[in-house]
Amino acid sequence: MTLLDSRTAPAAGQDRPQPPSRGAATLRDLGLGIRFAAAGGREGWIRTLLTAVGVGLGVALLLLASSVPHMLDERSARDQARSETRISGSPDTNAPKSDTSVVRINTTTEYHDRTIEGYLMRADGTAPVRPPGLDRFPAADEMAVSPALKELLAAPGNELLRERLPYEITGTIRDAGLRSPGELLYYAGSDTLTPASGGHRIAGYGDTRAGDPLPPLLIVLTVMVCVVLLVPVAIFIATAVRFGGDRRDRRLAALRLVGADIRSTRRIAAGEALFGAVLGLLIGLGFFLVGRQFVGAVEIWDVSAFPADLVPDPLLGVLITVAVPLTAVLVTLVAMRSVVIEPLGVVRRGRDRGRRLWWRLLMPAAGLAVLGFTGRVDEYTYAPVNPYLIATGAVLVLVGLALLLPWLVEACVNRLRGGPVPWQLATRRLQSSSGAASRAVSGVTVAVAGAIALQMMFAAMNADFNRMTGQDPSRAQFAGYSEDVTGEAATAAIEQFRATEGVEVVIGSVQAYASKPGVYAEDDVPPTTSVTVGTCETLRELARIGACQDGDTFVVHPPGDKDMSQWVDQAARKGKVVEIGSGYGKPLRWTLPADSPTVQGRKDPMGDTHYGIMATTGAIDASTLPGAQITAQIRVDKSVPDVAEHVRNTAARIDPGMRFVTLDSVERDRQYASIQTGLQVGASVVLLLIAASMLVSQLEQLRERKRLLSVLVAFGTRRTTLSWSVLWQTAVPVVLGLAVAVAGGLGLGATLAWMIHKSVSDWWLFLPLTGAGAGLILLVTALSLPSLWRLMRPDGLRTE
Amino acid sequence: MIPEGSLLAAHDLRKTYGATPALDGASFSVHPGEVVAVMGPSGSGKSTLLHCLAGIITPDSGTITYAGRELSAMSDAERSALRRSDFGFVFQFGQLVPELTCVENVALPLRLNGVKRKAAERTAREWMERLEVEDTAGKRPGEVSGGQGQRVAVARALAASPKVIFADEPTGALDSLNGERVMELLTEAARSSNVAVVLVTHEARVAAYSDRDVTVRDGRARDLEHAV
Repeated sequence: MTLLDSRTAPAAGQDRPQPPSRGAATLRDLGLGIRFAAAGGREGWIRTLLTAVGVGLGVALLLLASSVPHMLDERSARDQARSETRISGSPDTNAPKSDTSVVRINTTTEYHDRTIEGYLMRADGTAPVRPPGLDRFPAADEMAVSPALKELLAAPGNELLRERLPYEITGTIRDAGLRSPGELLYYAGSDTLTPASGGHRIAGYGDTRAGDPLPPLLIVLTVMVCVVLLVPVAIFIATAVRFGGDRRDRRLAALRLVGADIRSTRRIAAGEALFGAVLGLLIGLGFFLVGRQFVGAVEIWDVSAFPADLVPDPLLGVLITVAVPLTAVLVTLVAMRSVVIEPLGVVRRGRDRGRRLWWRLLMPAAGLAVLGFTGRVDEYTYAPVNPYLIATGAVLVLVGLALLLPWLVEACVNRLRGGPVPWQLATRRLQSSSGAASRAVSGVTVAVAGAIALQMMFAAMNADFNRMTGQDPSRAQFAGYSEDVTGEAATAAIEQFRATEGVEVVIGSVQAYASKPGVYAEDDVPPTTSVTVGTCETLRELARIGACQDGDTFVVHPPGDKDMSQWVDQAARKGKVVEIGSGYGKPLRWTLPADSPTVQGRKDPMGDTHYGIMATTGAIDASTLPGAQITAQIRVDKSVPDVAEHVRNTAARIDPGMRFVTLDSVERDRQYASIQTGLQVGASVVLLLIAASMLVSQLEQLRERKRLLSVLVAFGTRRTTLSWSVLWQTAVPVVLGLAVAVAGGLGLGATLAWMIHKSVSDWWLFLPLTGAGAGLILLVTALSLPSLWRLMRPDGLRTE
Repeated sequence: MIPEGSLLAAHDLRKTYGATPALDGASFSVHPGEVVAVMGPSGSGKSTLLHCLAGIITPDSGTITYAGRELSAMSDAERSALRRSDFGFVFQFGQLVPELTCVENVALPLRLNGVKRKAAERTAREWMERLEVEDTAGKRPGEVSGGQGQRVAVARALAASPKVIFADEPTGALDSLNGERVMELLTEAARSSNVAVVLVTHEARVAAYSDRDVTVRDGRARDLEHAV
């Protein structure tokens, strides 16, 4: 019997299941979406993986950024733990000794542009205090080194460094004693070091002095660097969530065919996005955990970090964990508002109406208003700066630019007509769907705009952070000073410099103080000036001296300073006795010849103006001067290999504690340089990340068009035609994105410059960054060409 | 081996995809202005034969001669140039560039051959008028019906004045009425322009528009004329 034979129909609805409650339906649809994402076959997996890897890369960067505060705290704590506690009264020779006190001297040196921090130490007693990370106090001529320095010393080609640090390595400094794993540090033992020879006495380590607060301008800069680097990452995550959206929409259309309503499809899509985002979180955590193992090998801002230092801030970590999946779902739901998923396919809506401009202008305008409201930052008063308001303003401007881009791309590409076939194919493609292209490029726009604004700030602050030193590197490239040496040692030192390989000229002088003899009240200051002893050639570098013979002496006035000239004349009385010395021990009494001419001083290569008494070596035997100071300004033949290292080795041989500097006309602030380096490295990483996102988007579009590409190949379309088409398709939105970035970046930069009371000094700073953006076009196109050519094979025509 | 007067002829073609043989000694020929239907069940190798004949793929062995020139001796660039100048194509679906308007789609082969845009679109409009789809000129493929889209594709195949049109299941996605109209227009236009048509189909109704049938079974083409 069949149903048709039955007299009565089956009881309607008797076994029909009740419709689920709203909550249950939501859970069911989310679950279905998760199932599609997790078990949707190869295609589903590819989409989920693309999203997850994209989100993962973004999450890893966010976790890295959230670890920076902990990393800096740890580094600062280790730094403080090894900072010395000087004994009151030191470094003078009267500082009290104890069984634990130590005399030490800073012997930091440079080798091939890397700083090697070092200390020479001598124990006063049997239980000397040790710096952190050291198991035992180094004996004389022994040293403990950081692992990085140990490696450097062992590496071939570093004989000059081994010569400079001629101590036996007997220990390795543990992590607790290092700022970062790449740090070059050593502690060497000595049995001759005394306070008299330049050392100072310390009682221990872990000085708790507070560090200097960050200057207000640097706070603004730091906030901006964070915003500029992290906003594109957020945009990248939002873009990654939409990878493979077209394919998903088609699948949802198939579900509509079997009865799913629109709400259901949205919830299913949300479930898919949720799964991708959560998987992305896990992958990002994986990237982060794996990446932090290698962080020691990466050096940014002159330093690296220990893996254990990279611990995300708990609050920020929770925020990332919650915000990323939530963003993924929100982005998906917002994206689905622009399409109507019908049972027979997907219809995009809103094409005829076009994008509106007015509300897109609100966000950048609001951002500029917030920055204006924040007001101007005073760099001198150290008044508190509100970093959150600055960050909010900058974020609003940058995100606003990203919102402006789709309107601009649509408005421009709709006006493009004609042109050769590749151009036509590209522009028509963009006209039919410019949203995906705008999304991919918005990251570039934000990154470049932010970087332009920052570069403008840097340029405006240039004068504050990059001090003109007044040094003249064309006259001398190095300078060394040693204090409290005997005159004999000083003259010997200058000779040693002169004998060093590659040294052309040594402007070597021995200085001491000369004062007018007499009996003075306790609060009276005797007229005092300096005595500089050197050859005629050396003295000519320090004063406007014409005729000069060995045995001559001069009284030198500072140019344009009458008061100081009078003070010099009070001490340097021609034909009268002066007392030369450092205040300790017996001074040398010497008569300034009456025929000593008075000349004007001149700046030496260091930029210092010399005045006082100048005497040739025939007039004063420098080796007899008590409490002398050597100054050696050295000009070298740069063509001699490793000439700088030869000179530094000589300096270290003469006096390991000698202050030795490389002369440069500009001195860059270390913090400023660090932030600038950080920005450049960060911007490069972000741009590469965006390039990856553009590439994925491009490849996805190409794969979607596999059959069409095969058809185009079938009727003889050249590879070059399609390659140019891909190039234009990337180039047009990127060029428009860069135009927005330049305009927005210059606007934001000018506002920030106004905030910090600076004027914009260079409006052309955007050119290198724009060039980098243009490089992205070529990179993405070049990387997508192999895939294009592979898809241009005729396989796409096969249907069986 | 090459039938006298044939425009395009293939002899003993063999082609495998992995371990699966698609063509196993197929031979074929077509004369100028002749409409030849290539028939056979799904997976018999019809489309592979068409792709080989059009120079889209190269056979593992065998010879293909077009107008006295050996196709397999040509480089990829030469074969592409030949397809641009002498061949036209109509496929079952997914062949029109969705972003271009219909007239731009029809003009595309001409433009790829270096014809200026205005001249190419003028010619394209003439062919569209002939194929009764002139009113779709400014529309995009997504905005026209399946039958209209297929006629636009036929217009595109004819626009560059080819010597041979390769049509792979051109009516496969159409209802019978639209399918017949497309076939009428395609064969009429081809015959009047002395264009040969290689028509791959598995429908006898469609094959009825041809001058001759060739059956492909298990990768072997039974070309009656060729066997003579």
